[in-house]
Amino acid sequence: MILAAVFLLSLSSLAFEVLLIRVFSISQWNHLSFMVISIALFGFAAAGTFLNIIDTHKKNWEQRLSASGPVKIFIILYTATAIGSFMVLNRIPLDYFRLPLETVQIFYLLTTYLLLALPFFFAGLVISLAYAFIPEKTGFVYFASMVGSACGAIIPVPFLPLLGEGRSIILAALIPLIIIPFERATTNKTYAKTKNTSRGKRFALQASGLFIVLIAGLLVSIGDGTEVKVNPSSYKDLSRVLQFPDTRIFETVTGLRGRFDSVYSPYTRFAPGLSLKFKGILPEQWAIYKDGDTPFFSYKLQRQKDEWFSRFTLPYAGYMLVPNPEHILLIQDGGGSTIPCAMASGARSITIVEQKPQIAYMIRKHYNIPVVNQNPRAFMAQSDKHYDIIHIENWGGSLPGSDALTQGYLFTTASFSEYLNHLTENGILIMARKLLLPPADLIRLWAGAYESLSSLRYENPEQHLAVLRNWSTFTLIVSVKPFNDTVVLKDFAQNMNFDLVYLPGITKEMANRFNIFDAPYHFFEISRLAEAYLSGTEETYFETYPLDVAPQSDSRPFPGRFLKWNKLKVLYKITGSRFYSLFMSGEIVVAIVFFEALGIAFLLLVLPLIAIPKGGQKLYISHIIYFLAVGAGFMFVELFFIKKYIFIFGDPVISFTVVLTGILVFSGFGGYCSQRIGPGGLRNVLIALIAVLILVFLGLDPIIHRILGLSKILQYTLAILLLILPGFLLGLPFPLGMRHLLNRPAQRAYAWTANGCASVLTSIISAQIALSLGIPIIILCAAAAYLLAFLMNNTKSINPFK
Amino acid sequence: MKKILLPFFILTVLPALLMAQVLVDSPNYQKAREKMVSLQIRLRGVSDKKVLNAMNQVPRHRFVPEELVSKAYADHPLPIGQGQTISQPYIVALMTEKLKLKGDERILEIGTGSGYQAAILAKVAKEVYTMEIKEKLYKKAESLLRSIGFSKIKTRHGDGYFGWSEAAPFDCIMITASIDHIPPPLLKQLKNGGRLILPLGNPFSYQYLSLVTKHDDEYTVKQITGVLFVPMTGHALDQNRRVTNDIP
Repeated sequence: MILAAVFLLSLSSLAFEVLLIRVFSISQWNHLSFMVISIALFGFAAAGTFLNIIDTHKKNWEQRLSASGPVKIFIILYTATAIGSFMVLNRIPLDYFRLPLETVQIFYLLTTYLLLALPFFFAGLVISLAYAFIPEKTGFVYFASMVGSACGAIIPVPFLPLLGEGRSIILAALIPLIIIPFERATTNKTYAKTKNTSRGKRFALQASGLFIVLIAGLLVSIGDGTEVKVNPSSYKDLSRVLQFPDTRIFETVTGLRGRFDSVYSPYTRFAPGLSLKFKGILPEQWAIYKDGDTPFFSYKLQRQKDEWFSRFTLPYAGYMLVPNPEHILLIQDGGGSTIPCAMASGARSITIVEQKPQIAYMIRKHYNIPVVNQNPRAFMAQSDKHYDIIHIENWGGSLPGSDALTQGYLFTTASFSEYLNHLTENGILIMARKLLLPPADLIRLWAGAYESLSSLRYENPEQHLAVLRNWSTFTLIVSVKPFNDTVVLKDFAQNMNFDLVYLPGITKEMANRFNIFDAPYHFFEISRLAEAYLSGTEETYFETYPLDVAPQSDSRPFPGRFLKWNKLKVLYKITGSRFYSLFMSGEIVVAIVFFEALGIAFLLLVLPLIAIPKGGQKLYISHIIYFLAVGAGFMFVELFFIKKYIFIFGDPVISFTVVLTGILVFSGFGGYCSQRIGPGGLRNVLIALIAVLILVFLGLDPIIHRILGLSKILQYTLAILLLILPGFLLGLPFPLGMRHLLNRPAQRAYAWTANGCASVLTSIISAQIALSLGIPIIILCAAAAYLLAFLMNNTKSINPFK
Repeated sequence: MKKILLPFFILTVLPALLMAQVLVDSPNYQKAREKMVSLQIRLRGVSDKKVLNAMNQVPRHRFVPEELVSKAYADHPLPIGQGQTISQPYIVALMTEKLKLKGDERILEIGTGSGYQAAILAKVAKEVYTMEIKEKLYKKAESLLRSIGFSKIKTRHGDGYFGWSEAAPFDCIMITASIDHIPPPLLKQLKNGGRLILPLGNPFSYQYLSLVTKHDDEYTVKQITGVLFVPMTGHALDQNRRVTNDIP
C-alpha cells in the first residue's frame, strides 16, 4: 500500500513540478519560475522536519501514520493542495515589478511559496514515512519513488498537447487518488502493526476523494477551461499585442517545448534595424509567440516590392557584399526578418534551420521554403554544404537580464568556427542583435569571431570583421576574405544613415555621424579591444571591463549573461544607481533565491535538533553530512547532464525530460539492487561512483560531439545509454545509507530532510557554477560531494549531543 | 435616525473623504513634487524653467494606480496596469526638455498611457495631440485629463503608427511606446527641422533616449545617454544626492 502511494505521489509531484515550470514560463519568466519552484520544493524536506518534531511527542508515529487511513488522508491533502495552489497561483495578483514598491507583493510572494510548498510537503511526508516505516526495504521505497518520478517526468509529454497546461496540472494532481478505494491486504506482514481503516472512515475518505474529483471536473469544464487557463504576464509581448483592436489568437499549440500562440493583428509591424530613409509601407505580418514572448514574425510577401523594405535594414549590409548569392543559410531563433532579406537578395536557394517544430512547420507552410527542424549545431555537424551567406537572427528576450540563465550555443567561439567552416570562399556571416549600453553583446560577439578566425589560422582576423549600427541594433559581419574594399559598406551606411562601428581603416568621425552618441562608445571599445588583441593584452581588457564580455566557450554558453559580481558596484553606478534596473537580472534572482534557500534549509535542519530532548535519539554529524553530500551529489550529476544535453537537443525542456527520465529510472533500479548489498558494499559503491564521475568529466565532451553528428534516433538512444552507469550507481548511496547507517525512524526522516535541503541548494548553486565557472565544474562538484560522503561513511560516528 | 445615519456615514462619506485625501492635491504632495524636482530632476541637469514648472505643477499622484500613490514621486517608473508604466519623473522631464520647446509648438504624443506626459507637455507647448491604441488606457487617461483641467489636450483612440495626418505637420513628436523602428509615416508628419523623441530600452531596466532631427530628407539620431549611462569614466549623477523615495 505505502509503496504504491510512494510511486503515485512521486509520479504526480514530479509531473506537477514540470507542469508548474510550464505555467510559470508562460505567466512569468523562466528565471522567476526558478525562484518560486526552488523554494516550493523545500516542502519535501519540511516533511522530514515535521516527522522529527512529531517524534519528540509521539511514540510509534511511523506505524500510526503509515496506516492506510493517514496515508490516504495525506494523498487527499496532496491533491487538494496541488489543485488549490495552482488555482490561487493563477489568480494571485503577484507582480514581480511591484515587489520593491508594494509591501503587499511580499505577502503575495510568501503566499505563493507557502501554497506551492504544501503539495510537495504532503508527498514528501508519505515518502519519508515509507523510509521510516520499512527500513529493511529502503531499496524498494527508493525504487518506487524514482520510477514514479521518472514516469512523472514523461507524463506531461502526452498530456500537454491534449489538455493544455491547466487541465494537465489538475489531472496530474488527481492521479494519486486512484489508490483511495483500495485497502491493504490483511495478510501483509509489513502492515501487521498498523491499524485497518474502519468502514466509516473508508467511506469518508472515498467521499472526500470523489468530492475533489468532482470539483476538479467542474474547474476544467467551466467555460471550456477558462478557469484553469494560464495567461501570460501583462508585461509580455503577447499580452500587450492582444490589447490592440481587431487582434486575435487564431491558433494555439501546446507542448513540452512551450505554448505557441499564432496571432493576427493589423498592428503587427516588425522591422528591426530599418533605416529612417525607408518611406514605404511594411508588408502585412502575423506572429507566433512562444510562451507569450519572443515572437516570430511572418511577412506576407506576395509581390516583389513587399520584400523591398528589407533592403533598408541594417543586416542587409552583409547581402550587399555578395551581390548574387547562390546558397543562403538562415538560422532562426525568434524574429523572422532574415527571410525577406534572403528573398530580396535573389538567392537561388535558401535553407532555414529552425529548431522549434511548430515554427519550422509554419515557415515551411507560409513561405514554401525548405526548413530543417533541427538544433543548428547538430545541423552544422551533419552538413558539409557551403553557403555564400549565413545569417543568424536572435534578438533576445523582451526583458533585459531575464535570459541571463538561458543556455545558448549560437554565439560561442566554437559556433563561429562552425559557421566559418560552412562558408564559401567569398562567404559572409551576418549576425544582428540589439544595441546595448554599456556596450556588451557587441564586444563579446566581435571577440568571439576574432578568436574563432584566429583559431582557424586566418591572418589578421581584424581585417575580416565589420560592425555597423543604427540607433537600436547592430550587425556584425564576418567575411572569409579580408575587407580589402570597404567602399560597399561605407556607401551603404552613408545612404541608409547607418553608422560604422568597426571596419578596417575607419576613423572615429565615421562612427558617430547619423546615430550620434555623446561619444562613439561602441567604436572606442571595439578599437580598444582590437588593440588589446594585437598587443596580446586581451585578458587584461576583459578583466578590467565592468561587464563580462569575454567570448564564451561551449562549456559556458550563456549569451545573455554579462554580470560580474566584483564589478556590481560600478555597474550599479553607470546604470544610474537604480536598484530596480538590476533587480530583474537572472543572476541577481539566483543570488536572492540562494540566500532565501539557505535560510530555509538552516531552519529545517536545525529545528529538529532543537526539538530533541536531552538524552534523546542519537544524531551523528557524520551521518548528517553524509546525507547532505549524497543529496548534493545526486543533484549535481542530474543538472550536469541536463546542461550538457542541451548541446545535443538544443532545447532545455527536451534535455530535462530525457535526463530526468533516464537518471530516475536507472537510479531506481540501482535502489532496487541495493537491497542485495550489505553494509560493507557502500564503500565500494562510492569509490565506483566517484571513478565514473571523473570518467564522465574527462570523456563526455568528445562523445557528445560525436553524438551531435548522428541522426535524432541515435542521439536519443545514445544519450540515454550514457546515463545507465552513472544513473544506476547514483541510486545506491541513499538507500544503502538509510538502511545501514541509521537505526531509528526519526533519523531516517532527518536524513530525508538533509537530502531534500541539499538537493534544492545544489540546484541553485549549480546554476551559479555553470554561469561563473562553466558546466564541467558541476560534475567535479558531484565527485567532491560523493568523496565527502565516502569520508563520512568511514568516519567514526560523533554524537554532537552527548 | 442617528442609528441610520451612522452606517450611511461609514459606508459613503468616510470612504469619499479618504479618497479625496488620496486624490486631491495637498501640501504634502506639493512638497513631494518640489522635492522630486529639486533632487531627482534639477540635480541631474534638467534646467529648462518651463519644464521644471510643469513638473512642479502637474499632480503626478493622480496618474498612478491608487495602491501606488505613496510612491508617485519616487525616483522610478511605476506600473499602471496592462503591462504599461508611467515613466520615471526624470525621464519625463528630460524627454520634454530635449524637445527644446518655446511654447508655440504643436506636439504629437504616441502612447498616451497614464496621460501624465501629455499633461506635462500641455503645460509647456501650445497644442498637444495624444494617441493611444489600447482602449482601456485611452478612456481612463482621457477622462482623467478632462477631470483635472487638461481639456485642451486632444486625445484619440487609434493606431499611432500612422500618426494624426489631419493635424500634421508637427513641430515635435514624442513616442512613449517601445518600438523596433521609427514609423515612416510619423517622419513624414514631422516639420522640416522638427524633432522626434523616443525612449530606448525597458523602463524597468537600462534606458536612454533617442532624439531624431529632420533636415529635409536626412535624419540624425542623437542618443541621449546621460539619462543613465556615463561609461567607465565616471558617472554624471551626483552620488551624494539624496533622492526622495516616498512622500513625506
